[in-house]
Amino acid sequence: MKLSRIPQQVIPLTIIFALAIVALVAARQMLVPESFGKYGHYRADAVEEVASHDISYAGIQVCNDCHDDIVEVKQESYHRGLSCEVCHGPANNHAEAPDEYTPGAPRGRGYCPLCHGYNPSRPVGFPQILPKMHNPGKACMTCHNPHAPTLPHAPEECSACHREIASTKMVSHHTTVDCRTCHTVPKDHWSDPRAVHAEKPTDRSTCGQCHATGADSPKIIPRIDIETHGGRYLCWDCHYPHHPEATL
Amino acid sequence: MPFTLISLLHLLTITAESHGFSGYMYPNEYELQWGLLIVVYPYLTGLVAGAFILASLERVFKVSALRPIYRLSLLSALAFMIIAPLPLLAHLGHPERCLEMFLTPHTKSAMAMFGFVYAWYLSVVLLLEIWFDYRENIVRWSNEKRGIKKWFYKALSLGATSVSPESIKFDHKMGKIITIIGIPSAFLLHGYVGFIFGSIKANPWWSSVLIPIVFLFSAIVSGIALMLLIYMITTMFRWKQISMACLNKLGELLFYAIMIDFSLELLDFIHRLYESEESISILSEMISNRLFVSLIVAQIIMGTLVPMVSLGIARFGRLPDELRRIVYFIAALLVQVGIFSTRWNVVIGGQLFSKSLRGLTVYKMELFGLEGLFMTILFLIAPILILFVLTKILPPWPSDEKAVIRDTEKVVTAK
Repeated sequence: MKLSRIPQQVIPLTIIFALAIVALVAARQMLVPESFGKYGHYRADAVEEVASHDISYAGIQVCNDCHDDIVEVKQESYHRGLSCEVCHGPANNHAEAPDEYTPGAPRGRGYCPLCHGYNPSRPVGFPQILPKMHNPGKACMTCHNPHAPTLPHAPEECSACHREIASTKMVSHHTTVDCRTCHTVPKDHWSDPRAVHAEKPTDRSTCGQCHATGADSPKIIPRIDIETHGGRYLCWDCHYPHHPEATL
Repeated sequence: MPFTLISLLHLLTITAESHGFSGYMYPNEYELQWGLLIVVYPYLTGLVAGAFILASLERVFKVSALRPIYRLSLLSALAFMIIAPLPLLAHLGHPERCLEMFLTPHTKSAMAMFGFVYAWYLSVVLLLEIWFDYRENIVRWSNEKRGIKKWFYKALSLGATSVSPESIKFDHKMGKIITIIGIPSAFLLHGYVGFIFGSIKANPWWSSVLIPIVFLFSAIVSGIALMLLIYMITTMFRWKQISMACLNKLGELLFYAIMIDFSLELLDFIHRLYESEESISILSEMISNRLFVSLIVAQIIMGTLVPMVSLGIARFGRLPDELRRIVYFIAALLVQVGIFSTRWNVVIGGQLFSKSLRGLTVYKMELFGLEGLFMTILFLIAPILILFVLTKILPPWPSDEKAVIRDTEKVVTAK
């Protein structure tokens, strides 16, 4: 084809697109690292670079080799699944030269709440506290041994494990009602909560203690006819007992 | 602006909530990872695709009533296209790294292929089509203007200065071919955005094969409504006569597009209800609680049903032109609110419920900062400013505007 027969518009456009493609190819040549794509969609040299970094963490096996007395205690506790360096920080230096370096240990009140501060997404029964209210000013280690954190005596308040319910109840009219008013709590539930469960109310009489027409309770408490109110439903089908003002 | 309205409504809803989240959330689900900027991204790309598809109706399908807004649609598509990827870059941080997508293309990642989808659409479709369409004018302006403007237009003509009948015929032919390539490309651009969401199989709110198609039709709806607004506003500020034939055609197309879009969304909704997968109860709770304002009120009632009914009455009823124009304008404005809510409901809604299907969280919008409300306002105003500059460089209005409008009215009446 003669060059003169090619429409004039095509020539500059072809040049621009050709230049763009050449620029892309040249940029690839210059900028893409040589080792890119050797193992996958990344720079293969990065693997060696990362491997050449100084090792910071020794790993639980190395700790266990020397500190078997602590391992023994920890193995029996709820902290058995935790690696030592979670709390003590990277300890490879210490493993290599035990006398020269001593790993740190969090001794204040700031560290434990990272796991044990109240957070509603944590499972029921997972010990959670409100750091500002839980023995303020005292270091956690004063009462809890971090390697075996369970106290020798059972928790004194239900909120130690049932924090979400306690927090909800706290803002409701039921805030002053003790948990045991409605729940029967066997003594062993305090020490072995998963094996022995607290009992929940099964009929209307529990709520009737305070809310029935003839109940012996302060006049300010709302009353209903406990026999007929709500038809065949139980109280908690409509009212959430830990926050009865809330609508379901 | 639609987003401000929605945001305000949401702020009110959030304030009305007594607490941030309910039920059980995994710890990494408290905060939403994709915020307002990711809402803006599909909204803007939808406008691009919609405006381009509208332009192609005139070019390929010979819808002559749309002649007055053909060029304006192309420039609008370009203006919104320039800004469309910026919300993503602002969200990700390190904007310079976006070039890595071109240097080391990752063909197995839909997100990483965006660079190519974008580059194709911007350079091969939009810029080329605009260049071929304007070339004759650019050459003329390069001869008529003086000083810097003359050299600017000379540079813009890329040296192709021939205005012989053969050359102009070639421009038209190329323009048509590019538009034909452009239609599937526009479908690809916005279908792709829907594909990104639809292919996230772990999220029951997003994972649906219908999502790309719903996105596409909502893009067409938003594009038509945008052009209706831009056409009316620009004509008003230039003190020119508006073409009722063009407006009526836009109103009609908008009416049909909303009907199809609404039917598809309804189909998706009914399909989900009928399937009743395990996620249905948390999704129902989310719709009736967290998304009530933005989905039921803003998207369905204000953004779809009200405009659909009012457009139907305005287009096919016997209304005076003045009233009709007002109805079109308000309907198009409501459609923008509705489509923005659609994007909001997809992006934000998909992150409001826990993957445990047992809890709901709340989106707390920032005001300042890279992902905040003010940044979003900036991204939504920027295309309008770019469009203003583009219309100064490449005026989309014919010099004999009155004659064009007269001809359009005549052709439409003759049909």
